[in-house]
Amino acid sequence: MRTGKPEDASDNVPQRPSAKLGVQDYKELLNQLYLARYFDVRLIKEKKRGRLKGTLYSSHNQEAVIVGSLFGLQPTDWISPIHRDMPAFFMKDFRSGWRNPERLGMSIQEVCAQVWGRTGSPGRARDNWSHIGSRRAHIVHSTSMLAGTIPAAAGVVLADRLRGENTVALTYNGEGSTAQGVFHEAINFAAVHKLPLVTIIENNHWAYGTPTELEYSQRDFARRADGYGIPGLIADGQDVLDVYDKVMEAVEHARSGQGPSIVECKTFRAYGHGDHDDDRAAKYRPKDEVEDGRKRDPIAVMKEQMVKLGYMTKAEAAMFAAENKGAGEVTDADFPPEVVAYMNEGVEFAVAQPEPPAEEGGMWVFAEGE
Amino acid sequence: MAKTEAPARTKINYLTALKEAIFEEFERDADLVGMGEDIGLLGGAFGVTDGLLDKFGRDRVFDMPISEAAIVGTACGLCLNGKKVMVEMQFIDFISCGFDQIVNMTATYHYRTAGEVSMPMVIRGPAGGYGGGALYHSQMNEAWFANSPGLKIVCPSTPADAKGLLKSAFRDPNPVMVYEMKELYRRRDIEEEVAVGDDAIVPIGKARVRREGDDVTIVTYGNNVYHALAAADNLASEGFSAEVVDIRSLVPLDEATIKESLAKTNRLVVVNEAPRTCGFAGEILARLAEEAFELLDAPPMRVTRLDTPVPWVKPLETFVLPSVDKITETALRACRY
Ligand SMILES: Cc1ncc(C[n+]2csc(CCOP(=O)(O)OP(=O)(O)O)c2C)c(N)n1
Ligand SMILES: [Mg+2]
Repeated sequence: MRTGKPEDASDNVPQRPSAKLGVQDYKELLNQLYLARYFDVRLIKEKKRGRLKGTLYSSHNQEAVIVGSLFGLQPTDWISPIHRDMPAFFMKDFRSGWRNPERLGMSIQEVCAQVWGRTGSPGRARDNWSHIGSRRAHIVHSTSMLAGTIPAAAGVVLADRLRGENTVALTYNGEGSTAQGVFHEAINFAAVHKLPLVTIIENNHWAYGTPTELEYSQRDFARRADGYGIPGLIADGQDVLDVYDKVMEAVEHARSGQGPSIVECKTFRAYGHGDHDDDRAAKYRPKDEVEDGRKRDPIAVMKEQMVKLGYMTKAEAAMFAAENKGAGEVTDADFPPEVVAYMNEGVEFAVAQPEPPAEEGGMWVFAEGE
Repeated sequence: MAKTEAPARTKINYLTALKEAIFEEFERDADLVGMGEDIGLLGGAFGVTDGLLDKFGRDRVFDMPISEAAIVGTACGLCLNGKKVMVEMQFIDFISCGFDQIVNMTATYHYRTAGEVSMPMVIRGPAGGYGGGALYHSQMNEAWFANSPGLKIVCPSTPADAKGLLKSAFRDPNPVMVYEMKELYRRRDIEEEVAVGDDAIVPIGKARVRREGDDVTIVTYGNNVYHALAAADNLASEGFSAEVVDIRSLVPLDEATIKESLAKTNRLVVVNEAPRTCGFAGEILARLAEEAFELLDAPPMRVTRLDTPVPWVKPLETFVLPSVDKITETALRACRY
């Protein structure tokens, strides 16, 4: 569904961007879904074993939003992920090669060092979990303030435009954060200046313990885009290809100078808000709603399409059965070995790193010199 | 070698001094852009940026929507990506609407990235009372930001300091907040000749002794410098000589100059127009009580705004703000202790 562009009022756009993807792309997308899932379940397990501090905001069941949105970006495009998007930090610019040191994304080592609170973290573990970023990799440093980083994302692409560079920024936001005043301020400003800013709303229907109907009244969130005079698109957040299509449409719109878009990806939060909330979430969320919400696992949805297209056999699809399993049920054998190996490299690096020396707590308040 | 005399400059006011700093630094640094409400077409609510848009164009000067959070936040993104930004708050009172973006995004950036990213941002705007501006056009809220590590704060009281500190702020790699005294913008009796270019620079973090004396040190900044100087005249007629120290920079604070003065006078009065509780005057007092206790022959004292908002009509405003009389009275108490 689209709004704000009446001429596109149907889903049957003749050339879906994903129509150009081949079997290798599909396989890569599926592998990335596995990796995002494995990263998450591995951290859940490490946390349960008491090896990690801090709160874990699971991206389980929402991986298609991260993978599908990043897949078509140019290396120098910017992203601004938040708490539920940890895999985005190391999956950015995966097209340049997962292990390519020149890749404009973080390495799995850096991200794991951050999670473990070690010196190898890009921010030397000064802030926790998702609160990292990288100017080199064009990742806006995340903070706690949810929509509070959207203006910075607008700023970085404005700076690029002033230099004559044509980059696009993707910001990730939960639907709850769209109620913040700064969300409006940033989108409004970006719309006025037709900035290449694509705001992805990961609508998982819950903001901590508050359901969407207590956050805003416009049910199809993307329609809010009308108010800014920009396109609003809705994607099936369980379908990595649909996310890819809608985000690419918005990205091309932005890159061609036509300005920002909002892409609402409808999905569902698999667990509690954070791992501290799992038990309570089981009480405040109706059981049937949770079961319904988890029914369409993005890995299964992708496999189904690949089998239908003849890109994999049913037997191949059954080989790594990570889908529809909770972190407690799934094992390493449910994932392709290259995915497990990749994560292992990150974990091994992280645990071998020291914690930062105490006196660093007093450093870097101010920058020195002119 | 014969030196050609530089042509004598005419005296300029505080506002023109700020304007000169902005134009000179925009000229000097092509990466510097300006953002604020009505700063382009209109030239700013007070005219500080008058002509800036014509001279530097729409890629350097942005008329922003009424969105203080987006203004600071966008500036933050520009700084993250290699630009330097001047943010104008139309009135410093409205800065609260952009508070989160200043204290949580901008001030912390260098710290949380372990030095990867610095924020060369200047946030400036008209501040202070004494003009009948009432609750929302009179504030001095600098203490909020002094309590947020990562921000430098300056508050000039003269045209030369206005120009010199603003130029330093533009060249600083950190976010610097410039509290401009709007009641001084066009004040005639403080007009002075001000240098051009690098000669005009005033370093951040250096206080200035405005009047020398032996019996009491009055430490202050901004509007209250002039009240303190007038109080020093009053004290002189009572037989006491007061030293007036204009700190000019709050963060970092030049404690050495204050201590040097106290070594001479042994008495301290701090004046500041923010409310008493947790105002910056309290911070100065606390530091000197801790670090220079032996230098003091009298309890350190404060003259501040009452713990009230700033009311509108004159008798009310005068009642709550520091005044020449209040400073004179307090300083006399210190001298006679
Ligand atoms: C400004 C601010 N207010 C409140 C919070 C606490 N908080 C963190 S995440 C969250 C819920 C966010 O919901 P949503 O935006 O839908 O994202 P989701 O967690 O569902 O992905 C809340 C209330 C915060 N981090 N920042
Ligand atoms: Mg949510």
